[in-house]
Formats: sequence, C-alpha cells, structure tokens
Amino acid sequence: MIDFMIAAVIAALVNIGLLIITITTYVQNMRLLRSYLTLGLVLVAVLLLIQNVVIVIFWSTLYMQSSELMKSADMVAHYLFVINIIQTIGLVILVWITRR
Amino acid sequence: MYIFSGSFQTFSFYTIIPKNIFCFVDSALGKAISNEDPRFRMILWLIIAGTRGGINRAKILNLIRETPTNANKIATTLKLDHKTILHHIEILSKHELINKDEKNYGATFSLTQIMRDNQNVLTEIMEKIGTK
Repeated sequence: MIDFMIAAVIAALVNIGLLIITITTYVQNMRLLRSYLTLGLVLVAVLLLIQNVVIVIFWSTLYMQSSELMKSADMVAHYLFVINIIQTIGLVILVWITRR
Repeated sequence: MYIFSGSFQTFSFYTIIPKNIFCFVDSALGKAISNEDPRFRMILWLIIAGTRGGINRAKILNLIRETPTNANKIATTLKLDHKTILHHIEILSKHELINKDEKNYGATFSLTQIMRDNQNVLTEIMEKIGTK
C-alpha cells in the first residue's frame, strides 16, 4: 500500500522546487521590467509557495507529534495527495511554458 | 413583438465588457487605435513578462518593427549569441508574432499583421524596460 501522506508531502516538495524555478524566472524579469503584471506574477507564485511550505510544516510537526491526529489525518490523506498531484501537473506545465 | 426586431445586433463581448478595459489611456481623448485588441494586449504582456528571455524577445520585436532585419544583424546589434537569437526567433514565429520572408539564406524577419496592429502595446512595454 502507498502511504498517501508521504506521497502528498513528496508532491508538495516537488511543487516547492517547481515554484522556486518559476519565481527566479519572474524575479529576473521583474528586475528589468517593473510593472503591475510582473509584480502580480511573483506574488501569486509566492503565495502558492507558502501554501506548499505550510503543508510540509503540517506534516513535519503536527502529524509526527500526535498519534491521534495521525489517525484522523490518514483518513483524508488521499484527498490531500490528489490535490497536490494535480497542482504538480499544473506547475510542470507552467514551468515548461516559462522556461522555453 | 416587431418593436424589438430593429434593435437586435450581432452579439459581441464588447457590449458587456468595454473594449478598453485593460487600457489605461483615457478613452475620452480617443487615443485608442481601432484595430487594437485588449486580449492580444494581455497575451503580449504575458509572453514578454512571464517567460525566460522574454525581455530579449521584446527587444527583437522592437528592432524588427521599423526595418525587417536578418538574424545575424539582430545578434550583432543586441550583442547576443547567434544561437540564442535563432531560438528566440523560433519561439516568436511559433507565437505568430513575426514572419520569415521567402529567402532561405539571410532571410529577414518582419512583424505579422496582428503584431503591427498592436504596436503601441510594444511601445508601452519598451518604455517600461527603458535602457537598462
């Protein structure tokens, strides 16, 4: 059996890596082209990064420390996995578009 | 019923959304060019601001705008590698922003019709880039 919680966290870590790639591209562009659009792109990417960091923090602190929360979290872990894997697919497409 | 028959027009999104929604030029002054498309404006901004090397692509478009130029000349004026210029040109042709003429060797590139219609978007972007 796949441990969905660990799979979800791996997907979140992949998302963080992909988002760092997009943010560096956007920031490089923002240095040369200052506008509301470049600023907005950076802001959106940073907010998504925060979301994924929060997932990893949730897993490493709350989930690991209390066994009660671990049981209830395992019941919904596959939903979290599906959410994260869809986000990973979307971000792969975004990175492919921006880095071409 | 026939009262309404005269007032029906072909449906257009501009009846709901004003055409200058992304345009910050005062529309009362009538500065907006008739062929300008607000959707294309957003697309060009995203192509230039949202991709790696997009700013070099904007510079290429700006160079080509007045006189059609070949790849080698673009490379020397922008002080970039010949291979990078070829890559940028390939991407820009895929986006249908530039056209290649018939010649194969030393072919010159020029803007397509949609790009020529929306030139003041490019002017605006180049003003933001400045001379950095």
